[in-house]
Amino acid sequence: MYIYDDFDQTVAKQRVAEFRDQVDRRLKGELTEEQFRPLRLMNGLYLQLHAYMLRVAVPYGTMSVAQVRKLADIARKYDRGYGHFTTRQNLQYNWIKLEQMPDLLADLASVQMHGNQTSGNCVRNVTADHFAGVIADEVEDPRIVSEVIRQWSTFHPEFSWLPRKFKIAVTGAAKDRAAVQWHDIGLQIVRNEAGEVGYIVFVGGGMGRIPVLATKVRAFLPKQELLSYLEAILRVYNRYGRRDNIHKARIKILVRDLGPEEFTRQVEAEWEQTRHTGINLPPEEETRIARYFTPPAYEAITEPVTAFEDAKKKNRGFAQWVSTNVHPHKAPGYAIVTISLKPIGGIPGDISADQMDAVADLAERYSAAEVRATHIQNLVLPNVKQADLLAVWQRLGEIGFADANAGLITDVIACPGLDYCSLANARSIPIAQRISERFADLDRQHDVGELQIKISGCINACGHHHAGHIGILGVDKAGQEFYQITLGGAGDETAATGQLLGPGFSSDQIVDAIEKVVGAYLDIRQPNEPFIATYRRVGPAPFKEKLYGTR
Amino acid sequence: MVPASRVLDRNGPIADGWQRLADDAPAPAGASVLVSFARLKNEHNALFATAGAVGVDIGGDVELEELEPLLPRLGLIVVRFATMRDGRPFSVGRLLRERYGFTRDLRAVGDFIPDQVLFLLRCGFNSFEVGPNFSAEALKHSVAAYTVWYQRGVERNATVAEMRLAKEKA
Ligand code: SF4
Repeated sequence: MYIYDDFDQTVAKQRVAEFRDQVDRRLKGELTEEQFRPLRLMNGLYLQLHAYMLRVAVPYGTMSVAQVRKLADIARKYDRGYGHFTTRQNLQYNWIKLEQMPDLLADLASVQMHGNQTSGNCVRNVTADHFAGVIADEVEDPRIVSEVIRQWSTFHPEFSWLPRKFKIAVTGAAKDRAAVQWHDIGLQIVRNEAGEVGYIVFVGGGMGRIPVLATKVRAFLPKQELLSYLEAILRVYNRYGRRDNIHKARIKILVRDLGPEEFTRQVEAEWEQTRHTGINLPPEEETRIARYFTPPAYEAITEPVTAFEDAKKKNRGFAQWVSTNVHPHKAPGYAIVTISLKPIGGIPGDISADQMDAVADLAERYSAAEVRATHIQNLVLPNVKQADLLAVWQRLGEIGFADANAGLITDVIACPGLDYCSLANARSIPIAQRISERFADLDRQHDVGELQIKISGCINACGHHHAGHIGILGVDKAGQEFYQITLGGAGDETAATGQLLGPGFSSDQIVDAIEKVVGAYLDIRQPNEPFIATYRRVGPAPFKEKLYGTR
Repeated sequence: MVPASRVLDRNGPIADGWQRLADDAPAPAGASVLVSFARLKNEHNALFATAGAVGVDIGGDVELEELEPLLPRLGLIVVRFATMRDGRPFSVGRLLRERYGFTRDLRAVGDFIPDQVLFLLRCGFNSFEVGPNFSAEALKHSVAAYTVWYQRGVERNATVAEMRLAKEKA
């Protein structure tokens, strides 16, 4: 993975010093809260219902063992001994004191981490496929360009005060695990007919109260011209994006208001003026960054790993876990492990300091010392030998993270909701917990099969409910928490917006309602047909009928 | 008495010879006058004939194509922040310097805070009209906060990528 050099480290250190000074001035009253707010947000610090919440950037979801251990230390030292992985591959602490922030940031900087641009109206921490570099069907490791984007977007002098937040995601494979069409800019690395590497550029995707899938503005952007193109997009947005209404300030609204053709025309016109002005990265620098993502030296494993095959035959629990949480690796004899942070009844994405340390130990011993965070709020060990899978699974069992539920109905995404978030209408976490408990039976989960439930506590959609096969949206109905159900959303290369099924349900009713939706699916599915495929085949009618009767 | 507003550059307070004119106030002959864009559009011939120097006050929503023909004769452009979160002046500054070749005084005014000055400098601004609560001390701090950059600014600094290359070659 990428390692800071002196230049990166200087920037990181100067950032800590700058924020130390800003906190100091805030505490002395030299900065008003209104002035301080955007400054702290750009360091990842939110004021929540009960305390400050810090969002630590995990660029494109990749962490070293040392970083995971430091995150554990920080959880003990500054928080209540745990952290929370988010839908943006970041880690949040929920109980931070403002006065301690400068020291905390210094601790993070000591392992090349920070909270930069995890909030605020700037280019946010870039996200990428969590299987980057280890899956077979990849054009190029998306973390290389993600690191390029990280550096370019860090403290950009022109684009740090945008109309609204700005999220960029990258996939290096046609199978999209990064939900690129749901981002302000989505990049898909592709090869053109001449065999050159470049990008499909999507612009204007986003969730929130107006869910929009991104527009493809360019079918092929040559790789070396990326940064000038990104600047052209951002300049058009910075100048013409709406600033009068926070709900209309995302670039998706500008694309809609101008129309995709006119928006694209303006971007291309801007780009024509700047593409030769030295904004693009020198190719040598791209090569330098790429070197950090050279794959580890894999052992040549040519024979089937019999110990692994035997263990699956002998141990049904292990076999179940392998079927959901282990993904094929590009190197023979290796595997990609998804560590489920969704134990039955747990809080999605929550992890204690001790669990973090245990994961770091596992990565050190079995996975080339690297851990990934996924936007589904799980972790990944990207480089595990098949021969080690049983040991990994057993150890995960000891720390409570061996649930064989990756991609299944209990692998729920939930935003913090009313338990933490000051914008919430309703709680998300307890709904996720109750759904998880209702469907705890592993055989039943495996029978239901692949099914993504995503829960947001308000229309801001941080829980990605629009992209859930089943989406749950918390609303306020006369002071009561109510939940609406959407069906048919997707975040992959078949991205789609979930459609509202009908009137909402109370907190007491919502889990029963979800069970009915699942029941309707089980009644009508064809052999081996996953939930989303059934929904796409039959539409909402049978689900509506089951939920609301034939009114 | 603290003046209602003063002008700073990156090193601190500077003298300001510009006189802000209301749209209906006559332009004193020979003076350096700062006028609204509307007035400049209507009266530029008269203004350029009588005033010693002419400056214009614009917002982040300016259409620069409209301003372009007048640029060679302007001595000052003041770009107004609607709020401190208004990021448009950063683009306007960079465009004026890099695309339109404006070389004279480029000044920010409005609710921006000292912590934003470094980025404003990097986008081509060289002076800052600020209110009584704006700390010149904090500005000095802000300007010195960073010494290396991943991006090239209007000042044509070497980027981190270029410094890396230079270091490798050395
Ligand atoms: S979706 Fe709403 S409730 Fe949930 S975290 Fe986002 S803002 Fe808060």
